[in-house]
Amino acid sequence: MTRFAKLFFWFLVLVLLLWQLPWAVNYLLVQSRNTPFTLYSEVLDDFVMIRHTSDKEVEYRDRAGNEYTRRAFDSLLPLFYARQLTADGRFPDSVAGRPVTLREAQIASFIFRSAPKDLNRPAPGLHFLLESMSGRVDLAMPSDAFRLTGRGIEFIDMAANRIDTAKSGRFTRMLLRKGCRFPVRELSGNPSARKEYDEGYLLLDADGGLFHLKMMQGRPYVRAVELPEGLRLRHLFLTEFRSRRTLAFLTDESHRLHVLTMPGYGIRRVEGVTFDPERESMTIVGTLLDWTVCVDGASAERYYAVSADDFSLLDTLSYPLSERRIPGLSFTSSSDRYVKPRFR
Amino acid sequence: MWKALLYKEWIKTRWYLLLALLVTLGFAGYALLKLHRAVALMGAGHIWEVMVTRQAVFIDQMQYVPLLAGLALAAVQYLPEMHRKCLKLTLHLPVPALATLGVMLAFGVAVLAVLFGLGIALLAAGARPVLAPELVGNILHAALPWYLAGVAGYLLGAWTILEPTWKRRILCLLMSVLLLRLFFLAPVPRAYGGFLAVLALLSLCAASLSWLSVVRFMAGRQD
Repeated sequence: MTRFAKLFFWFLVLVLLLWQLPWAVNYLLVQSRNTPFTLYSEVLDDFVMIRHTSDKEVEYRDRAGNEYTRRAFDSLLPLFYARQLTADGRFPDSVAGRPVTLREAQIASFIFRSAPKDLNRPAPGLHFLLESMSGRVDLAMPSDAFRLTGRGIEFIDMAANRIDTAKSGRFTRMLLRKGCRFPVRELSGNPSARKEYDEGYLLLDADGGLFHLKMMQGRPYVRAVELPEGLRLRHLFLTEFRSRRTLAFLTDESHRLHVLTMPGYGIRRVEGVTFDPERESMTIVGTLLDWTVCVDGASAERYYAVSADDFSLLDTLSYPLSERRIPGLSFTSSSDRYVKPRFR
Repeated sequence: MWKALLYKEWIKTRWYLLLALLVTLGFAGYALLKLHRAVALMGAGHIWEVMVTRQAVFIDQMQYVPLLAGLALAAVQYLPEMHRKCLKLTLHLPVPALATLGVMLAFGVAVLAVLFGLGIALLAAGARPVLAPELVGNILHAALPWYLAGVAGYLLGAWTILEPTWKRRILCLLMSVLLLRLFFLAPVPRAYGGFLAVLALLSLCAASLSWLSVVRFMAGRQD
């Protein structure tokens, strides 16, 4: 027993040293990243960036190194800074040869974010399906929650804490009739009443088939979305942007990014963009004419400029990351919501 | 002899155990009372929504209670042994020292298991009428590492208290604090997954550390 106790003691000492020493050194020495905030300028047809210098000043530059004043920089991104330019009376009649109005610019603008920790986490098990067509302007949270089982969908009346068998049967039958095979592999939705409209959920069924599920006037709306030949989807991100031009972003097993466009449920590949949602963060700043896609990878922060019309690649930019960290043991991670030992 | 040893532990801890039972169940009961009151005031829908979307578990106030219960049990059981030098007499009983220590630690772990088992059962039974099994599961999965911290806290507390020298005792204390931190890292319910079983195993292995302290005590190490 003495030998085991001694071994166990030194094992604990080793674990604690591997955990705490690298953490303390990294905490003291590793500096935060200073990659500039970068967007694609539809005026310059090139990337422009805002960087905070070491003496806490702000630099406005383009990729060629030309410096701009704050006011001039606003004009390089007329769709991103549309409100500011309108307030200054400088919003242009046309951008890149295309006539635009402030309203058009505002409706088309969006910011989309995805982080690995949003996916790598324990599944909540319960979800909320809002009424998409209540006839009221404001959305409301439902009085029931649902769970997905191996055989169908189950709605639970929250006040009674009891399964609503009639509604569950109705929705399950509709999903089965449309070809959905349980268990559902992944679902994506934004269950909140604080949005302009509701598109329910996108589901990836047991066979990898894509389905759109929502509730309209209490009845199930299910649409099987036809996938292009050979496309095997991995992750879904329902968007619900103001413009309603996109229903979702999708990634496939090769980590290529696709867009589910509306109306018509068309699936279009975003040219050149690769993104592994389980390991990389992604931000898309979208405007009427183009999207700036930023993928935060392990070795570089990759920027893609994509045409908002046909999702073709306009330009790319990459900031190599040279983060020097002392490897060590950790139990939590910024990439997931689990507690487990990992050495990195 | 075993019965006598167990009876000795019972005599030392019975009033504390009654207090610990009242406090641990009291905190669990208070958390449930707050949950039921919130359901009555805000509606079940709102509470379910908060629990699903914001990972709320409504039992945060009892987070450190099992740990304190475990540490206090170690203090009640082993401080008198060290303070009144009873440990020397205990170790001179006609029973192997390792077995004596094993019985004392097993008694502590067993009563904590009963105490915490009752707490978990109360939480499960109290929450189930108003919450779906998934949400009750979230509450229990959030509470399990805290209860396990109580057991680990007890065993690490015993190791620290039984240690005869202050220099080494400070090392025990420092290591215990860092090890106990492991039980309070969960950002969301169910975050520990399979690692909780590993933590449980390591916690039980921590019982062996007390033997190191006893060996040093028997070797006459002192400040």
